[in-house]
Amino acid sequence: MEEAIIKATGVHKTYDTGKLTVNALKGVDLSIQRGEMVAVMGPSGCGKTTLLNVLSGIDDVTQGQVVIDNSFIDQMPDKACTRYRAEKMGFVFQAYNLLPVLSAVENVELSLLVVGVKPGDARRQAQEALALVGLAGEEHKRPMEMSGGQQQRVAIARALVNNPAIVWADEPTGNLDSETSVEVMDLLRRLNKEKLQTFVIVTHDIAVGRRGDRIIRMADGGIVEDLYLGDG
Amino acid sequence: MEKLFGIPMNQLMVALLIIFGVGIAVMALIALRNRVLLKMAVRNIPRRRTQTILVVLGLMMASLLFSASFSTGDTLTHSIRLEALAEIGEVDVIVQTEGQDVSNQDFDPTQDFSEKPSYFAQTYFETVRERLSSVPEVEGVAPLISEVAPVLAPTTRLSEPQIDILGYAQEWMDGFDRLVDSEGNTLSVSGLTAGQVYVSSEISQKLEVGSGDTIMVFLGPLPTDLEVVGVYEKGANPAGKLSLVMPLSDLQTLTGTEGMIDSIIITNKGDVLQGSRHTDVVLSSLAPLMEGNDLEAVPVKRDAIDVANEAGSIFSTIFLIFGQFSIAAGILLIFLIFVMLAAERKRELGIARAVGMQRNHVVRLFAFEGAVYSLIAAAVGALLGVAVAWIMVRIIGIAFGQMDLNLTFALNWRSVIIAYTLGMAITFAVVLISSWRVSRLNIVRAIRDIPEPSISSKTMKGLLLAVMVPVLGLMLTVVGVQGDQMTAFLLGVSLVIIGLPLLARRFGLPDRAVFTLAGLGLVVLWLLPTDVRSSILPDAQEGMELFFLSGIMIILGAVWTVIYNSDLLLAAIVRVFGRIRGLPPVLKTAVSYPMKNRFRTGMTLAMFSLVVFTIMVISFFSHSMSIMFEDTERLSGGFHIRANTSYANPIADIQTAIDETDDLVLNDFQTIGSFAGARVKVNQEGTDQKLSDFYIQGVNTDYTDNVTYDFAMMAQGYDSPRQVWQALQDESGAVVVSSMLVPVEGNLGVDPDAFRLEGFRLTDGTMPEIYIQVYDPITENEQRLRVIGVLDQSAFYTGGGMITSQENVNTLRSQVVLPQSYMFWLKDSLDAEATAKALESHFLENGMQTEVMADEIRQNASATGMMFNLFQGFMGLGLVVGVAALGVIAARSVVERRQQIGVLRALGFQKSMVQLSFLLESSFIALLGIVLGIALGSGLSYNLIAEMSSGGFEGMTYQVPWLNIVVVAIIAYGASLLTTYLPARQASKVYPAKALRYE
Repeated sequence: MEEAIIKATGVHKTYDTGKLTVNALKGVDLSIQRGEMVAVMGPSGCGKTTLLNVLSGIDDVTQGQVVIDNSFIDQMPDKACTRYRAEKMGFVFQAYNLLPVLSAVENVELSLLVVGVKPGDARRQAQEALALVGLAGEEHKRPMEMSGGQQQRVAIARALVNNPAIVWADEPTGNLDSETSVEVMDLLRRLNKEKLQTFVIVTHDIAVGRRGDRIIRMADGGIVEDLYLGDG
Repeated sequence: MEKLFGIPMNQLMVALLIIFGVGIAVMALIALRNRVLLKMAVRNIPRRRTQTILVVLGLMMASLLFSASFSTGDTLTHSIRLEALAEIGEVDVIVQTEGQDVSNQDFDPTQDFSEKPSYFAQTYFETVRERLSSVPEVEGVAPLISEVAPVLAPTTRLSEPQIDILGYAQEWMDGFDRLVDSEGNTLSVSGLTAGQVYVSSEISQKLEVGSGDTIMVFLGPLPTDLEVVGVYEKGANPAGKLSLVMPLSDLQTLTGTEGMIDSIIITNKGDVLQGSRHTDVVLSSLAPLMEGNDLEAVPVKRDAIDVANEAGSIFSTIFLIFGQFSIAAGILLIFLIFVMLAAERKRELGIARAVGMQRNHVVRLFAFEGAVYSLIAAAVGALLGVAVAWIMVRIIGIAFGQMDLNLTFALNWRSVIIAYTLGMAITFAVVLISSWRVSRLNIVRAIRDIPEPSISSKTMKGLLLAVMVPVLGLMLTVVGVQGDQMTAFLLGVSLVIIGLPLLARRFGLPDRAVFTLAGLGLVVLWLLPTDVRSSILPDAQEGMELFFLSGIMIILGAVWTVIYNSDLLLAAIVRVFGRIRGLPPVLKTAVSYPMKNRFRTGMTLAMFSLVVFTIMVISFFSHSMSIMFEDTERLSGGFHIRANTSYANPIADIQTAIDETDDLVLNDFQTIGSFAGARVKVNQEGTDQKLSDFYIQGVNTDYTDNVTYDFAMMAQGYDSPRQVWQALQDESGAVVVSSMLVPVEGNLGVDPDAFRLEGFRLTDGTMPEIYIQVYDPITENEQRLRVIGVLDQSAFYTGGGMITSQENVNTLRSQVVLPQSYMFWLKDSLDAEATAKALESHFLENGMQTEVMADEIRQNASATGMMFNLFQGFMGLGLVVGVAALGVIAARSVVERRQQIGVLRALGFQKSMVQLSFLLESSFIALLGIVLGIALGSGLSYNLIAEMSSGGFEGMTYQVPWLNIVVVAIIAYGASLLTTYLPARQASKVYPAKALRYE
């Protein structure tokens, strides 16, 4: 784990609504090694999600530098950045954010279709990914027909099906009961170990944080503690 | 325009204003008591400006179509009135000999028959004047002679074949129009000496004559020289623009009718228009005098106004009949808009309900908002409708240019008010229904944004509905069968078809199968050919409403079928286009959303296809008509030139006359058909019809031997058109009639007072034995004529009435009646145009006017084509509805799916992919709507054209207007793309981080 896959230097993020200016990130410096599972924790409004957004390239930075896998993501044009996300990143959201009009397998295969995988291959890989998260046989259910835990598993399958280098998870257990939360975190940890993918997890839940390799605590737009836990 | 579907416009306006006023008062009262709701409603309006614009656009459609239809009708009424009143002026009533008023007869506009007026003793004038002297509403009574004759200016060698010649008695002309010259001076007839006349400025210009010049008038075979002593701009009434005026006594001398007149003109008090209000008083005062004197008082002013009103009304009605489809689409749009507004605010409405807002508060909230939208939209629509009408009038003006009718745009605020209030009433009624539906939300589901479950067929309500619909349908079917009402019958069967799947569901049959079958059943039922329908209910009445209902039901059935099979359709699309690189992910999302929202998709699809459907029907009609017009030989009956001559100086023997000319060679003419007319009274034997005044035409053997016109119906015993034409000469007492005299389904604009045959319809397979009683009021001779054929509707040049043999007409008149109208069949070598000019030139003294029939047909075709294009353009307005619906859906989808767009962007969807996904989604609905509209429009057109073809328009054939279809498809699709481009672009600009923050 010696190579830094994510490197942020002096990252500032300011939201200017015209009437109000909010400094969400105030010069964050951060480095995450390949294969690490990092939990970003802190109180509401401390800038956790903003940090995840700017690191993943779905939001721009006001000042500073973000380098992902040796690429300056903050300097990439939108098209290249989007392509980069599609190929190298996976996302898991608190509210699952599955497309309600697509079935489980269609939701998962969408990530593959975006990067140009042939529909037949995409379907096969999506089914494998669903099997990996324990949803074999549930492929054709729509999100509304599934439990919260199942939906989050589909979201995880979608995030991992491309075999991305980094998986960003924003409160992945936020909408789940404790039992399901444990199941989901077990799954994430297992996949992290098996596939050596880097996981950055934003969470409020200390139990979730403790399942990772490292906890970064944030407060008021900055990192206040960086705690290495060893094997979770 | 005075009536709409038979309801007087004034009464309609008052009723609508009362409804409007009461509605507004009630809303205001409720608003005062619920100010918070009003505030919430009003503040909701500017929340999304683009959406508000689209909402107003959709809601204004009804008012716009009403306003455009009414204003077009008003303009036509106004213009025709102006034209008619310009010729009538202050004259309100004319007393003349009976049988001269044939204004109820539907003349073929290309024919111009006239007969020498009947004279009566001038002493009648004294009697009439004396009688009316005690009627205070009468302002003036005057004797008059009105003749028509050819005029030639010897110095310029210019001529006019038919001008009006009026003989005035100046001493009685007080109260009538004054002859006024260009400088405003009054010209008095009493100042003229024998042989002096005043001419109209139009005559002066056309013949290039002025004061001091001599003109020659052919009131008989020999010309009379007259000296022009003045030129008037206006005031010679009743007469056309080409007229001259002389003292009554002079004209009596010239026509050899000393002590005789042909008319007594009466003017009522009040201005040109108001005078007609006293018509009834005058008519009832004159009634005792008319009896037994063979005289009749004709209310010319009121008749002219009625004709103008009727014409305006017909146009408005036609536009409204076609506009109904757009209005129906508009109603669907209003419903869709409000359902979507409710969906957008579902969460806040749920919260509002949770904190104590009653269901009726939700209704009020939406009703207030809807009322504000409707008030604005109806006003915008009514005013825009006037602008649309202005454009339409310009186009109609060009089409009517050939008919010499100048259109003057007339804005009638009454029509605008009716359009506004009617549009507002319809819109608001739909808003109220939508609001009621919206209010039935479940609080928890609304707050948590969980979709409403579909209505279960297992509930009591579901069972009741499943049973009631087919039962109601059966009852209606029985009513239709027993009452011979096709509409009730078809609606009844449709309800049974709609109800059966609801019942089948309860027995566990799959939705797809039963709803597909029902949808297809509706399409098949309403596309049944007329003869099949008629074989089920042979005596059933069919009205114009059937056309509208056919459209609605066919679309309903087709949309139903498509929606219940959309997954198969979409799977096929994905399979076909999914191979294109980069398209699969976009296609996947693009087709999944419309499939998920079946209600929205179905509604939008219905709107789009309905509009395209109506445009297609018009397009097919227009194309078939234009093809029919291309066959000039069929329409002209084989002849090439038609000619009319003046009754004042008819040609005794056309063949000899041509032979005697220097440059016309009789041998160059294949044949010359002739028409001799006689004014008679007619009714159908065996009916209680009153005797109607009518022109009957007698044709010579050259005509019957050669004419190629076909028959829509032939009497028993005749197998071919040739046999019928032959029999017209061979069999004494035979007559053929125009199809205009035979009733057809939903006769629009038919004068109820006009003579019509009874007991059969043009669409009937066989023709019963029909006899017409003909009575000549001059000779008092009577004839019993057997109808042996009904001419095809494409037999344009047949005088619009009855054709019998020349011999029959001679017998009626007890003398040889000289023909006034001719048809020339030229040999191939002869140029029609040059020959027509030569004929006019040679027979100038006979007032001959010629027309090359092919040219005339082409002009008619161009005018008809223009009118159809106008109808198509008018229908195209409905596209605004379909396009607005797509816009509303797209705009709403962007808001609704903001977060999902964020996810897609996070997953790697490029901006362009998001945009393409939205455009493809709209394209799916638009293209499907276009295809459905074209296919169903083609289907219904096939039936309608086949029906017309078998109903007397034999020249009409079903041909696919490919070019038109392509143009309509491109415009409709292009417009849909343009409307959805903006929301699609907005969607592509959704910033993923912001969108995901919506969580």
